[in-house]
Amino acid sequence: MTNSMNNIEFVNDLVKGTVEVVKSEVIDKFQVSFEIKKNEVHLLLTKLKSAGWIQLSYLSAIDWLEENKFELIYILMNWEKPVYIQVRTKIDRENPVMDSILPIFGGAKYYEREAHEFFGIAFPGNPDYEKQLILEGWDDIPPLRKDFDPKAYSDKKFPQRDYPQDYSVKDPKESKQAKREARKQRAESLRGGKKQ
Amino acid sequence: MKSTKFTPASKLSKAEIDRKWWEVGDFFRRNSLWMLMYCTGCCAIELPPAMTSAYDMERLGMGPMATPRQADILLVSGYLSLKTLRRLIYTYEQMSEPRYVVALGSCPINGGIYHDSHAVINKLDQYIPVDVYVAGCMPNTESVMNGFVDLMDQIKRKTAVGWKKYHENNAWYKENQKTSLGEVVVHDEFHE
Ligand code: SF4
Repeated sequence: MTNSMNNIEFVNDLVKGTVEVVKSEVIDKFQVSFEIKKNEVHLLLTKLKSAGWIQLSYLSAIDWLEENKFELIYILMNWEKPVYIQVRTKIDRENPVMDSILPIFGGAKYYEREAHEFFGIAFPGNPDYEKQLILEGWDDIPPLRKDFDPKAYSDKKFPQRDYPQDYSVKDPKESKQAKREARKQRAESLRGGKKQ
Repeated sequence: MKSTKFTPASKLSKAEIDRKWWEVGDFFRRNSLWMLMYCTGCCAIELPPAMTSAYDMERLGMGPMATPRQADILLVSGYLSLKTLRRLIYTYEQMSEPRYVVALGSCPINGGIYHDSHAVINKLDQYIPVDVYVAGCMPNTESVMNGFVDLMDQIKRKTAVGWKKYHENNAWYKENQKTSLGEVVVHDEFHE
């Protein structure tokens, strides 16, 4: 009999027996997160895959601008023991390189291309991580980096709509409001309703 | 012997006859409109109530159409990213003429809530001519229907001339498309 708390303990033992954990957190009873060193990611992912976490649910990155780091997050799912494992690791922001996990999880191919396109992280080992995936003809720094200013880019690249400064009616004779009022009063008086 | 064939009494010039035929054509055109729904954004959710029994746009003689070559209206519902715009221009140029463009929501007007996004264009009429804008984020179904009635009215009054503008100012439109998109050719792994 397994229950979710046992599962979390099992994961804890498994991970802590394999690699050195910098920080770990139990998010809820179905999800745990471990922060580990960059060079141990492949070891841990291999170990977890053989222990049943066969599905790479997601791979993404976070830009920690003040720390000058990128954080990579690999989320794994096991269909036997329902626990999501987040494997997190911080990499250098100036020269972001992370070896591809393609030999372990083939599905990482597109996630890595996406991370390269939106954060500029290089994934040697993935043959086409540099191919464009979502953006077309991109001509600036990767758009999800925190130091990219989308507003400035949009102003520079796309024409904005200009609106006339004064759109209110200046001439009282042309006021639609007054005309509408007059029409309403006339309608009222024709119906024999309100007496003026 | 008198011919049983109808012979018009007055002598109309060729231009006048052409105009008459165009008017007759417009009558039928505005009473059978087929829409190509290019549903890019959240505004598209207003279309199911417009098409089903709540508002039943078929009573106006309008219906959905699957292919650009058979459609009269290009219905752009919502925001357009550069990637989508490229495909939209392809689609627009495939449609037969006369063709009309109806844009729903504030996103095609001025970018809407995505006005500062790195990917979303801010002004649709820079790239293709738009005949009717329906404002709102999202516009309610009454205003969507009202937009279609306006379009029919414009066809009747011969002011829905976006497709002619696209011919006359083609260089300008092409230039705008080029400055934002680079070139209107799809280069990705599925098109190479
Ligand atoms: S106008 Fe509003 S509802 Fe319509 S696509 Fe834009 S954000 Fe969505």
